[in-house]
Amino acid sequence: MSGRSGVPLLSMRQISKRFGAVEALTGVDFEVHAHEVVALVGDNGAGKSTLAKMISGVLQPDAGLIELDGQQVSIPNPSAAHELGIATVFQDLALADNLDVTANLFLGHELRENGMLLDGLMEQITKEVLGKLASRIPSVRTPLATLSAGQRQSVAIARTLIGNPRLVVLDEPTAALSAVQTAEVLTHIERLRDLGLGVILISHNMTDVRAVSDRIEVLRHGRNNGSFEASRASFEEILAAITGATHVEPGLRSVG
Amino acid sequence: MRLGGAASGSQSSLREANRSLVAEVLQRFGALTQVELVGATGLSAATVSSIVKELLAAGLVDTSTTIRSGRRAQLVRLARRTGLVAGVLIGHRQLRVALGDVAHEIVAEQVLPLPDEHRVDTSLDRAALLVVELAERAGATLDEVLAIGVGVPAPVDPGTGMITVPGIMRGWDGVHIVHVMSKRLAKTVVVENDANLGALAESRFGAARGYRDSLYVRASYGTGAGIVISGQVRRGFAGTAGEIGHVQVDPQGAICRCGSRGCLDTVVGANALLAPLRSSHGMLALRDIVQLANDGDPGCRQVVADAGAAIGAVVASLAVAVNPQCVAVGGELAETGEVLIGPMREAIRRRVLLNQITPLEVVPAELGQRAEVLGAIALALEAAEIPLDATEQSGGDSDADEQR
Repeated sequence: MSGRSGVPLLSMRQISKRFGAVEALTGVDFEVHAHEVVALVGDNGAGKSTLAKMISGVLQPDAGLIELDGQQVSIPNPSAAHELGIATVFQDLALADNLDVTANLFLGHELRENGMLLDGLMEQITKEVLGKLASRIPSVRTPLATLSAGQRQSVAIARTLIGNPRLVVLDEPTAALSAVQTAEVLTHIERLRDLGLGVILISHNMTDVRAVSDRIEVLRHGRNNGSFEASRASFEEILAAITGATHVEPGLRSVG
Repeated sequence: MRLGGAASGSQSSLREANRSLVAEVLQRFGALTQVELVGATGLSAATVSSIVKELLAAGLVDTSTTIRSGRRAQLVRLARRTGLVAGVLIGHRQLRVALGDVAHEIVAEQVLPLPDEHRVDTSLDRAALLVVELAERAGATLDEVLAIGVGVPAPVDPGTGMITVPGIMRGWDGVHIVHVMSKRLAKTVVVENDANLGALAESRFGAARGYRDSLYVRASYGTGAGIVISGQVRRGFAGTAGEIGHVQVDPQGAICRCGSRGCLDTVVGANALLAPLRSSHGMLALRDIVQLANDGDPGCRQVVADAGAAIGAVVASLAVAVNPQCVAVGGELAETGEVLIGPMREAIRRRVLLNQITPLEVVPAELGQRAEVLGAIALALEAAEIPLDATEQSGGDSDADEQR
């Protein structure tokens, strides 16, 4: 812990991306340290998901630099992201309804020995991971189809912990959840941070964002438009940056 | 999650361990089917089935029929006596909601992280939703919830649940918490200061049990104390008794949220603890200080220890006024144990008057983070008795419930 002052876990510099005539991202800077939750907020089309997809290897930047632990890297595809210790939970969760909790956690990364699946070990790891998150899923053998929306979200978050990642990207994890389920997911996010991971949280809900984030980065029309310390910035300041009521000059970064 | 097979040795001790495992799992997950119980405990289906029968016979669990995956299944839940009450603790950075039965057993609980300076409408709305959804999780309906006890980190007027000192919780001034919550849930609602709730719980079920006169100190984002005299929590005329966070400790100090200068909270409140660590440790949360202090980080231990001494000096003066036998220390900072409590005890023991006959006990709170919600549940149970008496035949008080 206390890695804040050191080299950032993830550093993105002057990232740009175009889709034809659309400038999705223009010269965006973004940093995440270990043991830190950074929220990425902005209007629809501000570039949040584009940036997240670059981190998880789905999209490539046209220009700019990505560093992990100070080393320049390229993330050409999702499995490269996995190798680098980056795990992502997308909005649609990408879970298999017909499989049980354990099978979902290890989907595509099953543990084998001499070609045999190590079911017992995988179940044990699943229990450990769910325990770390203080999850409320009673049985690791439950098929996904029978779980609630909140339990599915917690399976998706638990899956990121398989393979000891360093950085977790969560895209709208609390959208369409009940109050109890939201509470569980936010508690999971606090746990991830306390385990020493870097967390990127994309969300529209300012209450949730301010509850668990250390820092809030605002994107507007594909550009940085403010960086706030979550514990000091008010709802109004953040909303002003999102809606464009306040502007940050390119190259100048406002701090809380 | 723990697997079975904890105890070794005789058959009966193994059986006992398995029984308590099943009970533990039910408390954590609420209502479960027998199949889910098998998965959650790691015990065999036959063992679970026979343990459920035993617990049912002993009146410790209830069962009902439900449908899971299109099949009939037996839903098992912890038995509740008469009804449920909810305890809601609104903190600076988290909301804790728990449902308890008349035996003060918690049957469901959930914590929700809150933003700094959280809004009164959003937070009360979420608290109400959590009560409803937790009742569902426990396999109950809202009808079974008899009353709701709410704790807030500020002095409150017991009748309206309004915060009596303006400015302490930004945006909460003038809000009738009782009115808002009882309108949402159509239940009896009682509101009390968080430290007073902690004092109530610790003096009844916790570290101060058995002492007639005691203090409870809550060292959290702000500092407060609850005063118990002759077994009763003393809240004072406007509920501000024991608000040690607003005792002056530095006449030249900073202006506090309450408007006075140099209050204890300006020295040991969360912001005051985090500020000196900024240059050496970067941005931290209060939770990080606790974790780092427990991991042995010298800077964080220093900050917590100094806070302990500062709080101890104020508690000593309060103790001179009250002459308690015991001081129980709770709140987030108390999770550092002796790092906080050691220097606090030393500061209190320095007052000769307090320790003439026997040394004043300064001990960690026993109920931990649950102290305040348990206090809220206890308060709600007291409030729930009036409608119970009026509507139903049960005339007894809570201790003598013979019905089951």
